[in-house]
Amino acid sequence: MNDSLAGEHQTGAMQVVMIGLGEEKFALDAGLVREIIDPVPVTKVAGARAFVPSVINVRGNVIPLADLRLRFGMPQLENSADTRIVVIELELDGEPVLVGVTADKVYEVTEISQTDVQQTPRVGMHWKPEFIRFIAKWREEFVIVPNMERILN
Amino acid sequence: MSAMDPTEVFRQEASELFEVLEGALLDLGQRPDDRELVDSAFRALHTIKGSGAMFGFDKVASFTHEFETAFDRVRKGEIKPTQELISVALAAKDYIRTLIEDPQSTDDIIGEAILDDLRRFVSADQPAAPVAAIAEAPPLARAESKQAGWHLYLEFESHILRNGSNPLDLLEDLCKLGPCFVVPVTDGIPFLDEMEPEDCYLKWDVKLHAACDKDAIDDVFMFVQDEMKLTLSPLAQIEAPAPAPLFLLLDEEQVPMAEMAAPVIEIAAAPIAEQPVAKAEPKPEAKPEPKAEAKREERGIATVRVQAERLDELMDRVGELVIAQARLSQLAASGSDLSIKMIAEEIERLASSLRDTTMGARMVPIGSLFGRFRRLVHDLSRDLSKPVEFVTTGEDTELDKTMIECLADPLVHLIRNAIDHGIEDNATRAANGKTEQGRIELAAVHSGAQVLVTVKDNGGGLNTARIRAKAEEQGLIAAGAVLTDHEIHQFLFHPGFSTAQTISALSGRGVGMDVVKRTIENMRGSIDLSTRPGQGTTVTLRLPLTLAIIEGLLIRVGEGRYIIPLSAVEECVELTAEDERSRGRNFLNVRGNLVPFLRLRELLTASGSPDKHQKTIIISTGETRVGLVADQIIGNHQTVIKSLSKLHSDVTIFSGATILGDGTAALILDVAQLVTLAQSKVEKQHISEAA
Repeated sequence: MNDSLAGEHQTGAMQVVMIGLGEEKFALDAGLVREIIDPVPVTKVAGARAFVPSVINVRGNVIPLADLRLRFGMPQLENSADTRIVVIELELDGEPVLVGVTADKVYEVTEISQTDVQQTPRVGMHWKPEFIRFIAKWREEFVIVPNMERILN
Repeated sequence: MSAMDPTEVFRQEASELFEVLEGALLDLGQRPDDRELVDSAFRALHTIKGSGAMFGFDKVASFTHEFETAFDRVRKGEIKPTQELISVALAAKDYIRTLIEDPQSTDDIIGEAILDDLRRFVSADQPAAPVAAIAEAPPLARAESKQAGWHLYLEFESHILRNGSNPLDLLEDLCKLGPCFVVPVTDGIPFLDEMEPEDCYLKWDVKLHAACDKDAIDDVFMFVQDEMKLTLSPLAQIEAPAPAPLFLLLDEEQVPMAEMAAPVIEIAAAPIAEQPVAKAEPKPEAKPEPKAEAKREERGIATVRVQAERLDELMDRVGELVIAQARLSQLAASGSDLSIKMIAEEIERLASSLRDTTMGARMVPIGSLFGRFRRLVHDLSRDLSKPVEFVTTGEDTELDKTMIECLADPLVHLIRNAIDHGIEDNATRAANGKTEQGRIELAAVHSGAQVLVTVKDNGGGLNTARIRAKAEEQGLIAAGAVLTDHEIHQFLFHPGFSTAQTISALSGRGVGMDVVKRTIENMRGSIDLSTRPGQGTTVTLRLPLTLAIIEGLLIRVGEGRYIIPLSAVEECVELTAEDERSRGRNFLNVRGNLVPFLRLRELLTASGSPDKHQKTIIISTGETRVGLVADQIIGNHQTVIKSLSKLHSDVTIFSGATILGDGTAALILDVAQLVTLAQSKVEKQHISEAA
């Protein structure tokens, strides 16, 4: 996956799904995204780590539902009309794993280009730097491209 | 389905034959006089050679030919199948297997060495052999060997050539037995315009002037005997008619001697496996091998090879169907339409029988697995020079095929342990007044919805004191802590725990028992150890019948719904107001027995206030009975097990999840882990109180 990212860096463009979490915009690598669904009833998993508090049924598969807002210290909003679940597929320890990610809003599928990529600042952020792959500029806004593998491990 | 690669077909066939061959060889080690075993080994060899040549495995064919030649002397009763000979034969079998499966990895030199060994064994016995052979050989063989020869009449079915069989090759083989006088019988040949060029119209009349026995002739026609008529009679110039009751395979009955004008042997197209076995089998456990083989041949037509993935796929579909059916049932139950209810019930019935059938199709008798260990025991017992008798029972016990695959490694480990650590060396055994031969029993038996697989040895038993000392040394327990033997034995499952004083090639590295335990628990099974000093150790694996679908009890705790495997549930009782009141003692009185209970609401951190009438589900795990207090018991639920993802692998109290009728996911409680968790919580509490 990192290799493919390097490739995209060279060609300069990267397809992303832009989602909103709290006040921030996050860009998820479109290659990871399997589908985007409306909120479904969740099942709480007692004793699970806080950022994967529950599981959901997606087409007959029971998959974990992750809450990125917790990882970035954001308040958990109630589900609204805009809330969606983005189902992504990741490689964890060499095995593909489907994970649902709650998004307060899904904006669009778009492209961000290499020239827009900003160095992750070392100061001025209260997020853990390892959760962030890089920060890009998109339509006069800064968007975060999260490192999903790190966040979910 | 696309046509299978013929080489692949051969490989598959060969691997089955290897199993037969290995089984027969190992049995032969125990019952050297059993002719049936020699024959079955020989048949397997012969088929490997034949089909090997047919599919272009020339090396296999030529090696097997040499092997066969050597083994032929065993078959003729000229030499006895000694343990050494069997070891070499097993090595030869392994060599053929590598030749077929991975020809690059072998060297001709190895093959030559094995053949040399074989020849040495075979010829070493030569001087003494003839005397022994006559003494050993049954009267039947002796009578036959006196005959001057045989008169054969061969009639093949007309389509024989289309199957790739060539009668001329067979005749050539026959001529190798001795001088033959072959006359083709041409009266069956039709006129040219009626003649099918691919049909065989010739018959043959053969006089074989050689004192070979009937088996040798049968062997020549082994592959085509279903498609031919072979009439066999001794040549006229014999001094006396053969007195032995020769087999007449018509109607599988032996015709009394008196009715036989001339001892004619007819081989009709009857399955050879039906041969009446006159010999009484000495040991009951010796039975399964030949019997299973016979069954396979009988059922040949009725079985279909199916790729394992297809069965898995079918199981997935059935799982989805069961989920959809549960939703339908729920919908029907909430409505008032009677006809919909009827259909829902009908579908429920069909889905459940479809589920059973599908699961049945995935069931494999565990005997296929047990067979593999005989070789292991044989080799280990030789390497460690500990004579071991290996007994298996319950080979017919069926288990899901995925479970059988998962079981192989743990069982290898347990058997190794039993031989290496369990069975004492000869001197110790003698000193303790035990028989020189150790004994390892591998048994499988159904017990309710579980299958119990036990590995039992009659060795020295576990050394509890040494395990304890080791546990103290590794800091797992405080010195002087009061523990039951059972608790001490649990340390054996601790990663990196080994009490073996020396590290051998086999064991002592402390890697193993923890892996065994984990594998078994991943299958939702459990492992028990019981031991009696000086008398041996028994390891019992309790396994569910299948991995895919279980019967579950659906309960509600707060907002959440959970499944308890029904196999663990003993009974359900209501929590009385009295039990409810006393918060200090969490005990129930179940018909005079004291049963501790756990509040699921606390363990599962449920929100909201508890229901007024709490229910208790009494479950059993291992030897403990525990009550689980829930808000509501919803009912029986066909649970299709979905595994939890890696992200939840740290949560041990759930063994998986399932999908309920309304489409939400529900978690399956792992009762054993739940009890362990509760225990550790209590312990922590005690420690913090003490501090």
